[in-house]
Amino acid sequence: MLRMKDVSKVYRTEVIETHALRELSLEVREGEFVAVTGPSGSGKTTFLNIAGLLEELTSGTYTLDGVDVSSLDDRARSRLRNEKIGFVFQSFNLIPDLDLFANVDVPLRYRGLSRTDRHRRIASALERVGLGSRMKHFPAELSGGQQQRAAIARAIAGGPKLLLADEPTGNLDSAMAREVMQLLEELNAQGTVVVIVTHDPEIAARAQRNIHVVAGIAADLERGPALVRAPAGAADHHQPTA
Amino acid sequence: MFVYYLELAARSFRRDRALTALMIVAIAFGVGASMTMLTVLHVVSADPIPGHSRDLYYILVDSQRLDSYVPGEEPDFQSTRFDAEAIVRARRADRQAMMSGGNVAIESGRPDLPPFFVSARYTSADFFPMFRAPFAAGAPWTAAEDDGSARVAVITRALAGKLFGPGDAVGRAIRVDGHDLRILGVLDAWQPNPHFWDVSSGRTYGETEQVFVPFSTSRELKLRPEGNMNCWGNEPGPNDNLALDAPCTWIQLWVELDSPDKVAAFHDFLISYSEEQRRAGRFQRPPNVRMRDVLEWLDFRQVVPRDVRLQTWVALGFLLVCLINTVGLLLTKFLRGSPLLGVRRALGASKRSIFAQLLVESGAIGFAGGILGLGVAWLGLFAVRHQPTPYAQLAHLDLPMLGATFGLAIAASLLAGLLPAWRGSQISVASQLKSH
Amino acid sequence: MRFLVDTGPILFSLRRHRTAATLIVLQIALTCAIVCNAIFLIRERLVRMDRPSGLVEDELLRVRLAGIGTTEGAQALTKRDLDALAAIPGVKSVVSVNMVPFGTSSWNSGVSTIPDDPKSPMNVATYLSGQDLVGTFGLNLIAGRNFQPEEILSFEDTAEPAVAIVSKATAERLFPNQDPLGKALYFGSKHPTRIIGVVELLARPNDWGGRDAVGCSVILPVRMAFGPASYILRVDTDRREEILAQVDAVLEQNSASRILDSKFTYTALRRDYFQQDRSMAWLMFVVSAALLVITALGVVGLASFWVQQRRRQIGIRRALGATRGDIVRYFQTENFILATIGIVLGMALAYGLNLVLMDKYEVERLPAQLLPIGALLLWSLGQVAVLGPALRAAAIPPAIATRTV
Repeated sequence: MLRMKDVSKVYRTEVIETHALRELSLEVREGEFVAVTGPSGSGKTTFLNIAGLLEELTSGTYTLDGVDVSSLDDRARSRLRNEKIGFVFQSFNLIPDLDLFANVDVPLRYRGLSRTDRHRRIASALERVGLGSRMKHFPAELSGGQQQRAAIARAIAGGPKLLLADEPTGNLDSAMAREVMQLLEELNAQGTVVVIVTHDPEIAARAQRNIHVVAGIAADLERGPALVRAPAGAADHHQPTA
Repeated sequence: MFVYYLELAARSFRRDRALTALMIVAIAFGVGASMTMLTVLHVVSADPIPGHSRDLYYILVDSQRLDSYVPGEEPDFQSTRFDAEAIVRARRADRQAMMSGGNVAIESGRPDLPPFFVSARYTSADFFPMFRAPFAAGAPWTAAEDDGSARVAVITRALAGKLFGPGDAVGRAIRVDGHDLRILGVLDAWQPNPHFWDVSSGRTYGETEQVFVPFSTSRELKLRPEGNMNCWGNEPGPNDNLALDAPCTWIQLWVELDSPDKVAAFHDFLISYSEEQRRAGRFQRPPNVRMRDVLEWLDFRQVVPRDVRLQTWVALGFLLVCLINTVGLLLTKFLRGSPLLGVRRALGASKRSIFAQLLVESGAIGFAGGILGLGVAWLGLFAVRHQPTPYAQLAHLDLPMLGATFGLAIAASLLAGLLPAWRGSQISVASQLKSH
Repeated sequence: MRFLVDTGPILFSLRRHRTAATLIVLQIALTCAIVCNAIFLIRERLVRMDRPSGLVEDELLRVRLAGIGTTEGAQALTKRDLDALAAIPGVKSVVSVNMVPFGTSSWNSGVSTIPDDPKSPMNVATYLSGQDLVGTFGLNLIAGRNFQPEEILSFEDTAEPAVAIVSKATAERLFPNQDPLGKALYFGSKHPTRIIGVVELLARPNDWGGRDAVGCSVILPVRMAFGPASYILRVDTDRREEILAQVDAVLEQNSASRILDSKFTYTALRRDYFQQDRSMAWLMFVVSAALLVITALGVVGLASFWVQQRRRQIGIRRALGATRGDIVRYFQTENFILATIGIVLGMALAYGLNLVLMDKYEVERLPAQLLPIGALLLWSLGQVAVLGPALRAAAIPPAIATRTV
């Protein structure tokens, strides 16, 4: 489903050059539920941004569902993002002046679907997360858990194969967090690949597999802590996008 | 997608009402002020006789004294009566007419209509076909009437209506400065602006003359000329300034020539005429002739009021400031919304669709600004029309100007939106999505 | 200087917001340039509209009439008209004159100090009147004397006048540093016309000849009949309207075969003449005001955005001990810096604009003392505009620094 080989990400400014990812290689297979863990500044978020096609990689190859994305232009990447990937963010990132219906509608609009098709998908996505009766509510009128469920509805409305979640429970209390995790697990059970970035060990423990990122280099914990490549000069790493 | 972008624009306006209103008002005022002044400029600098302005030539020969001659200097801007009559008589052009303005008293003889003054033009027969004057009834006089100083006149429909009501005026008599003239023709509505044939008086814009009389007749009846007169040399008694041989320029002379060959031939004719006059002792200077078509002549005489041009530039400067203002505010607005743009990007919007979305938003502001700008232009022109300047009455918002106002508003806002929309589409998506 | 203590951080932050800062600077510069020139144009027009004529304008009325066809005995009829008008109570004196300052028509002539001069060195406006023009116009005769009855010619005579009264401007131009009295003028002929008097000021009828020619005029003792000439009445200021109302009937009694063309108080005449200048001045005023408002709102918009964007930063500063005054001062200093750059650019632009106007529209050079006025205007505009957003920034509680979201 998702294969990265020797992916590096370097941020350059006039003054400094920061290596956020160093020759990272990993693979996520169909049907998996993976947690990406690691300390702050390890490059988790950079990994997620690259995996989600939000950022371009500096070197290496990245294949998403059989498509090599490194050569794609912005339009094709956006299209791919729209069709294959659903995003769930820590801070929900719902659009405050759109009601739930219109929020879920956003990715469908960019896909250029017909009106009836969109309506059907929006209704079913909101039903799926248990917010079918709240379509006309605005984000501010909902609890944090409900907002995150709405964000998940928005992420799955287009029927993506891959769900990328960045600390999805970070802003939620434990009851709400459990609810959201349950939802993600159900989605995974129905065939959606789920990749969660988290530093919460409890969340990570619920995943089938953990990928630990240290200083921009991944270690597959399920198969033992063997690093893909030895770290070099880890001292100059830090996370510039945080 | 366009409709969706419009929906988004509407939502965005609701989010920042004050800022949006400010941009709309800025565009409206900039566009409104510009269109007001451009309409006025359009009115005062329009081609007064489209289709023929390049075939009609204003003619000048130099008959002034040698002792005040400066080589290369322009001849005086009007002709002497002698030269005008001689050149018209020579009939070397397709058409030719000499003319002078006048001011005459009209007596209706009706007790309910006391005598009144109207402006008049004393001219020769070719005036009407040459300037394409439309006749509602009757016909212009002919060369025969010119030669015979016939007691005839052509009047406007407005004057005919005022004197005779709805009935036919042709064949009736009109009393002009105490003399009865037979009306040969009635002109249909005709208002070329400016009155290019005589730009020496202050009445360059507005209504045309109402009474037209053969020039020869005007001299026999001693009708008062009106306009600019320049005399030189040992001036004779003042009353002789209008005499055939007076060293005074006060006549406008026009010819029609429809091909470059004819223009060249006529130029040669003017040179040879000047030389002939010099041999005869009337001209002292070497031949110094000018031929300018309508547009060249208007341009040369700087007919378009300088203030109007200046005001137009000021208005455009104002528009420019309004535009820069809008660019700044749009940039502010779009960047303020960049977290939401980041979300849209994450959900699959390409840079191009974000750019399109923001440009549609800018265009929508332009559209609203255009509607309001029309109001501003309408008010501006209303104010212009209430100025006592002669061209003021002509300043109306016609359909092309209406379209231009809208076009300008939308073009201006799209232009203003380019940079902000580009910046909005280039935001770093990843950093916008972090918790904030 | 406390005021500029934040300059360093401000410049740093402005560099990060280069586009927005450039736009506002550009806007201030353009506004400054246009407003400076507009103020100058307004001033120029106001000066023009205030142009003195030399006449006692608030005591004068002007009446024009014309005969139908050629009028026999026009001079005699004119004499009767003048007598009848002078008999109206409140009328002090009446003249018939070929033209007046700010009227529509003008009579001009080349004049020289030598006979038969083909190139007259100077062009003057020639006022012709057979009555006491100096007294009726209320001109100030500063040297010599008025015309004597025997010196007055009729317009129909072929003789040329032997004497003239000239304006001071004419005298100084033709006879610099000399006593003009008794000197001879030649109107393109051999015939000398002696100067017998000098009036302090008598303006030309119009702008013919440009700015320098405004005061160049002569008065010749030539009796004018109605038609080409108009009647000027000097009356009691308070009775102007009342007398103007009686004029028609009085003239009608003398001859019915004439048409009253127009009658005005001199005040109205002047107002009409300068109407276009007044419109222009108003337009410039309105445009300037609108520009300043738009620019002020632009400053408000941008400053509000920056305040909103820096909420957290401001909160942290407050938490670290900055007072509300410090925060307000920060934004004021920022605006001051932007405005100053804009003004400096604007001055250069104003000067350039003025050069173009001088070239194309016969505008004079922008006086240097106008520039500080423009600068002051935009500085205060910026400070006033930024005050609202700055106060809002100062109201941000320090506690915002400790909030995570």
